[in-house]
Amino acid sequence: MMTNEPLFVYSTRRLILPTFACMLGIVAPCFLSVSTVQALEGDGDRPSLVFEQGIRPFLTKYCIDCHGPRQQKANLRLDTLDADLLNANSSDTWQEVLDLINLREMPPKDATNLPSNQARQAAIDLLTSEFRRLVELRRSTGGRNVLRRLTAYEYNNTLRDLLHLDLRFASDLPPEGSAKEGFVNNSSVLGTSALHIEYFERIARNALSRIILAPEEKPSSYVVRIEPERAYKVIPNGQKPKGSSASYQLQPLVDGKPQYKGLFKLVSGEVSPGGNGVLLAGNRPQDPIDSPFSADRKIGGALGDGRSGFQPEFIAEIYEIPHDSPVRVTIRAAAIAGKGNTSPRLSFELGSFRGNGVSDQKEGGNIEIHSQDFRTYEFVVHGANFPFQSNKPSRPSYFRIFNDFRRGTSNLSYEELPKLVIDWVEIESNYYPNWPTLQKRAILIDSPNRENEDVYVREVLRDFMVRAYRRPVAEKEVERKAALFDKLRPTHATFEKTLVSTLTAVLCSANFLLIAEPVNDPMADEESFQQRHLNDYELASRLSYFLWSSMPDATLFALAEQGQLTDTTILRSQVRRMLNDPKAMAFSKNFATQWLDLAAIRQIAVNPEFFVFEEPTKDLFEQESVLFLHHVLSNNLSIDNFIHSDFVVINHKLAKHYRIPGISGGFEVRDLNPEHNRGGLLTQASMLFGNSTGSESHPILRGMWVLERMLDMPPPPPPPNVPDLPEPKGEDETGFSLKQRLVAHTTIQRCRDCHSRIDPWGVAFENYNALGQWREGDIDPNVKPPHQNIQVDPTTKLRDGHTIQNLDALKRYILREKKEQYRRALVRKTLSYALGRYLDFQDRPAIDSICETLAANHDQFQILLEHVVLSEPFLTK
Amino acid sequence: MKRKSWHLERRTLLKSMGVTMALPWLEGMSWGSDKPQQRKRFFAGFFAYGVPMPADDAPDRLKNGWFPVGFGKDYVAPEMHASIMPVRDKITFLSGLSHPSMRTTSAHKGADYFLTGADLLKTYDKQSISIDQHLAQTLGKDTRFESMVLSSFGGVNRPYRSSTLSFDRAGRPIPALNNPAEIFRRMFGVTTADERNALSSRGSVIDEILSEANDLNRRLSALDQRKMDEYLSSVREVEKMTERAVEWQDTPKPKVNSDKLDLSLNVTSPREYLTLMYDLIALAFQTDTTRVASFQTACEEGGLTDRFPSALGLGNSSHKLSHEKKDYDEVAKYIAFLNEMHANFIQKLDSIQEGDGTLLDNTLCFYGCATSKTHRAINYPIILSGGKHMGFTHGSHLNYSDDIPLSNLFVTISNQLGTPTERFADSTADITEVLS
Repeated sequence: MMTNEPLFVYSTRRLILPTFACMLGIVAPCFLSVSTVQALEGDGDRPSLVFEQGIRPFLTKYCIDCHGPRQQKANLRLDTLDADLLNANSSDTWQEVLDLINLREMPPKDATNLPSNQARQAAIDLLTSEFRRLVELRRSTGGRNVLRRLTAYEYNNTLRDLLHLDLRFASDLPPEGSAKEGFVNNSSVLGTSALHIEYFERIARNALSRIILAPEEKPSSYVVRIEPERAYKVIPNGQKPKGSSASYQLQPLVDGKPQYKGLFKLVSGEVSPGGNGVLLAGNRPQDPIDSPFSADRKIGGALGDGRSGFQPEFIAEIYEIPHDSPVRVTIRAAAIAGKGNTSPRLSFELGSFRGNGVSDQKEGGNIEIHSQDFRTYEFVVHGANFPFQSNKPSRPSYFRIFNDFRRGTSNLSYEELPKLVIDWVEIESNYYPNWPTLQKRAILIDSPNRENEDVYVREVLRDFMVRAYRRPVAEKEVERKAALFDKLRPTHATFEKTLVSTLTAVLCSANFLLIAEPVNDPMADEESFQQRHLNDYELASRLSYFLWSSMPDATLFALAEQGQLTDTTILRSQVRRMLNDPKAMAFSKNFATQWLDLAAIRQIAVNPEFFVFEEPTKDLFEQESVLFLHHVLSNNLSIDNFIHSDFVVINHKLAKHYRIPGISGGFEVRDLNPEHNRGGLLTQASMLFGNSTGSESHPILRGMWVLERMLDMPPPPPPPNVPDLPEPKGEDETGFSLKQRLVAHTTIQRCRDCHSRIDPWGVAFENYNALGQWREGDIDPNVKPPHQNIQVDPTTKLRDGHTIQNLDALKRYILREKKEQYRRALVRKTLSYALGRYLDFQDRPAIDSICETLAANHDQFQILLEHVVLSEPFLTK
Repeated sequence: MKRKSWHLERRTLLKSMGVTMALPWLEGMSWGSDKPQQRKRFFAGFFAYGVPMPADDAPDRLKNGWFPVGFGKDYVAPEMHASIMPVRDKITFLSGLSHPSMRTTSAHKGADYFLTGADLLKTYDKQSISIDQHLAQTLGKDTRFESMVLSSFGGVNRPYRSSTLSFDRAGRPIPALNNPAEIFRRMFGVTTADERNALSSRGSVIDEILSEANDLNRRLSALDQRKMDEYLSSVREVEKMTERAVEWQDTPKPKVNSDKLDLSLNVTSPREYLTLMYDLIALAFQTDTTRVASFQTACEEGGLTDRFPSALGLGNSSHKLSHEKKDYDEVAKYIAFLNEMHANFIQKLDSIQEGDGTLLDNTLCFYGCATSKTHRAINYPIILSGGKHMGFTHGSHLNYSDDIPLSNLFVTISNQLGTPTERFADSTADITEVLS
């Protein structure tokens, strides 16, 4: 919510050039010792000695003459103003005093007694750090977790696991805000508006109706079988040459009988040698090897992420296929290996036509095929998660299949490409292997009392509520829901319909939507507001929302029931188990997105005057960072890899983007050589592009990112009324690098001090252009003319006197000189994410201890997560 | 379907004015219970990042400037306002006004305080109700929805980069809707039997949710309770909304044929999207689905809405355009485009007959931005239009000195629109020059 916003609010959002032309001062990042880091965490009740000894003398010397007992210019008297900066009335005034001193407007230039630059800066630094300390104090929750709503993504995952139904439940919810440190799950920013409640009610009712009110009789399945080689049979004289297309009419089977017509089309494939299938190569037959984007499908579609185009593929346009149901796609296929033992990738999409040649689609499956013998590959997806239904009933749904092997930067000719052989494809909608569905039977549990509504509804409720509330439920809790059921029953036609309404109340309950840890145990009665250890169930929830972004699974529930989860050994083994579960990807995705501010990628427009760029590449930027973090996590590697690694996790397309030769195919871990100039998060396009202007690199933003995200040393916000940085404009300034402009800018005395704390960190990244591509010399060939001329100089001098030659040197410097600070920063970020709140001075012992353990254990990432879980703040309320 | 003659007239009229028309056919004319003449409506619109302001003696003053040259009835409107000149006698340009507390703010926070006038300079604690919600307490009584809160960005975003103009009585942001299909569904979607059944039980369901939450609340720490308050008050609000929906369930929703509307549009095509959003507001007013609407055309934050100009071929983000210091050609083109969208909306309202006059006569439209130039939070560019039947008069450019609070205008608006108000935010008086 917006009410607890701290005093300092500023933006690191992109496209808004931050107003750092002048900055408030604060503890210089480069002089940071452990003790100043700790000062940032605050120490709670430090007396305002700082004020009395540091600030008061300055005021007395330079300000009190005009703003004191003798006269009160501007109606301001400072000697009697409440020195408690936390006092809402005086804090505004102090903030203004600070701004005016900082802007050098006060003392006035004609004053007889002007402070020296050092004295002024010292006062500014002290006042600023006092403000910062007080801001932390103001938003403090006393080191206690505050109740919070499930985030939209947690809500979605929880419904998925609770209902065993993988749908995009949360897509209509209003977009979530994020805390100053970037975490969406921070209790203080998670508002619950009436609109939220309204949506929660509707989403719950729709999902429950879908499951519980499904008809008694199993819906007819709708099967389309495609024999792709038949597309060629209409052509006289046998086969068509490669690179053209042909089509034939589809006659889908409904319950075994041919009924509706559709169209099937093969583009740029060829009939396989045996004649009973088709062969799809990874590139168009006619693509020249050196054509830069030859392997990539043309980008099209009204919605931006649609793809259509030239990859050898086949498409089926299908009319009247049920779209809001599970769809089974069965594909009989084989691989023909390419040169260098490369394998084809089978990829398919479900979508629909939107008129005017525009389509919308989404990938349904993407696997590498190794077997050279024909095998049957089966995928089950839910049509509702795809744009499978067109906006007009008269327009067809469609299905597309292609070989997603991309030649990338490898040097394969058409003959050498791996090829995918497709014998046939079957698409079955209304695919229900079990009826009633598993989902329905999970709610309407088996019971000898099924015929007795009164008894049965209580059994159903208890079973459902225990999972929905993630804890045992008291008899009275079941009874009150049963009472609701009884109240509703007369107005509803059936038991099932009444149950939908009743369970909707469960899914809108505070006990479901909020992660609340009541002061006293819900099962007990005594009042106690003391800090306490979490009970097993609360711990299970904290654990699963931390590592899975979802509700606990059956194992966690079982351990909680046995009271074993609070046992350290068992807790430890559970963390390991959970991190090895595919659901741990949720941690990697959500933590990486929020920690690294991956959303910034979406907020920057690439300047088409500077770059040839396809919008979907942004997805890859994001994926790279998520998959990289996940690789470090699942292999329990050192957190040093985030600063620098000797591997990357990229696919052919990112390889091309980064100009790393010889890479084809999908996302995989690949070794790096020094000449690639990559490694760690700092050289990933997500960071480099996310902190650019879309045309040029942005050293200030990049410097800020390192300070905020990697070292947890956010620079102070700018004072009001400062001008923006001048933007590069037109050709008259070409050849004048942003760095040079910054240098020019920092020659202004009042700006220099603060800029020297931020810029040097960002300047080290100057070898990377706005898209994160390497550049050196005086031409950047990745940029379109006339913007190619560059003067890149990554040499920079940090405030502590270290001269840094380039980014590689900066990475070494961080790992050598700033290692403790970096470790501590990551521990703090992880803990804050795990707890869903801002950290506090009370958390310091826990942070210290996690850091120590981490240092003693090769800084392994899993150790970090494990010890966050074992820490006092995580285990207590 | 039978088409009434006025439909044809309206279309012909609009075509001749060169306005792209996308309003679907409405079956029937009369909606709501009271007489159309008595209806009072309010629209508040916002655009981002201020306006171009060439110097008074600059050669492009009339080509690229926002503010009219000259005051009173004889002002000369710069080119970017050509689109609204056909209804010159139904609009008023205002200059000079601003919210005093925020005059020294840094940029990009406009949407947070444009309609509230709250002092957010240092903290967000003092955020207060927005004028649209203030009016909705009275104007919203007789319609299916109390108000309609829209923005191109959607949601609330975050403090100081709000993506909603509307704030409730506690100063909490009201999430804005931005998905046309969803807006249409809420307003005009056919109520299915299932939804009707759902509504019949929703009251009891919400009761139970509330009562259970109160039980939980008693077992929470003071800190948790503060957070819980928010949940509780939201549930209470839904309770009220449900009661209202129950009252309305026997009144059929207006039948609006969506064939002419492409509800799948999104912000990647700004012209079509903004036209559609304005059309939906016009439809909501015309069908008396609501009488209060706010619409934030873009967020003062990066992202897709910042890219409107690029999508229009103006080659830059709207924020960057706004920083242009010398060459105003492109930014002027972009603001002219936004003005055109707004002007089409105003003329659309004016083309729809209602009682003795037009929809516009019963609708007061307040449109503008909370900065003049990007970082100057004074002298807001504002166009006020319509509301003839509520006593407003137009045709002038009214200039106020820089110290007059914009909230003075909100006081006048409140009083004219049936919500007697002595003070709004930091108002010091009212503004009578806009009244006849």
